[in-house]
Amino acid sequence: MKVEVIRDDGFWTEFILRDSNPAFANAWRRAMKSHVPVMAVDYVDIYMNSSYLYDEILAHRIGLIPLKTNLEKFNLQNQCVCGGEGCPSCQVSLRLNVEGPRVVYSGDFVSDDPETVPVFDNIPVIELFEGQQLMLEAVARLGFGREHAKFQPVSVCTYRVLARVRINESCSSCRKCVQVCPRNVFSVDEDRVRVIDEFSCTLCKDCLKVCEENAIELTETDDFLFTVESIGQMEVREVARRALDAIKSKAQEMVSLMEEL
Amino acid sequence: MFPVRCFTCGAVIAHKYEDYKGLIDSGKSPKEALDELGIKRYCCRRMFLTYKSVLKEFARYHGAVG
Ligand SMILES: [Zn+2]
Ligand SMILES: [Zn+2]
Repeated sequence: MKVEVIRDDGFWTEFILRDSNPAFANAWRRAMKSHVPVMAVDYVDIYMNSSYLYDEILAHRIGLIPLKTNLEKFNLQNQCVCGGEGCPSCQVSLRLNVEGPRVVYSGDFVSDDPETVPVFDNIPVIELFEGQQLMLEAVARLGFGREHAKFQPVSVCTYRVLARVRINESCSSCRKCVQVCPRNVFSVDEDRVRVIDEFSCTLCKDCLKVCEENAIELTETDDFLFTVESIGQMEVREVARRALDAIKSKAQEMVSLMEEL
Repeated sequence: MFPVRCFTCGAVIAHKYEDYKGLIDSGKSPKEALDELGIKRYCCRRMFLTYKSVLKEFARYHGAVG
């Protein structure tokens, strides 16, 4: 197995996983979405809310704000020394005390921990009008994507199988495949149909349907093109690495269970 | 208020809303504005295109409450 990075600007990455299999590719994809812990607001104490939004809607909006944090500093709540009650090593409070008229942004939250702050400072949370007031304490904790989508470190996280396209001797150069292919995989060169862009093929098999000579051979390879976009809490590389760690520890757990049998 | 995240893909979009509004006010078409802000997927693009603020409407009829 080998990983080949095509494009990586930190938060939007494309890479090819070579010589693998669908089971592993999908395990990795799912681990990136649901086995990498991320900080998000999960509990909100509202002392005063005279805005036009209900407490529930406001709390929901606050929960969706991505928070970056130092993952080494915090425990998962159910594995914490406090036994899940909540303590400074498993949760962080973000306070908000504002009066209208103004727009309240995610950057207005005052965090107890200087390393746990919103990824973006300019997310409009709520608009307060004359005389409206907001006083609340939002409690953030670590969680997994399988619990709630706000704990997902990635938004887009997909893969597709790369194709192998070959044209054999029986080709009559009828060019029907050139016209029908939506991804422009084929081209005509010196009266012969040639494969020019195998990489773009999505295995739609439209070319097989129009080819009367059955001259096109389409096969799935063992290569997978991943497209991953991070929400912003950490870079895609780190998400991918942590996901692999999660798969590894689960596999090791499985091994020890098998040995006990 | 503008949704914090895209309903479909979950990407954060609200931090670009005020830039979007600025571009629209400066005379750009929604397409140009969204392309400039790098909103690529159509799920996220429709969030901007179909948004209508109701909070300001509330304020017109209710006045301020304390
Ligand atoms: Zn604790
Ligand atoms: Zn979207």
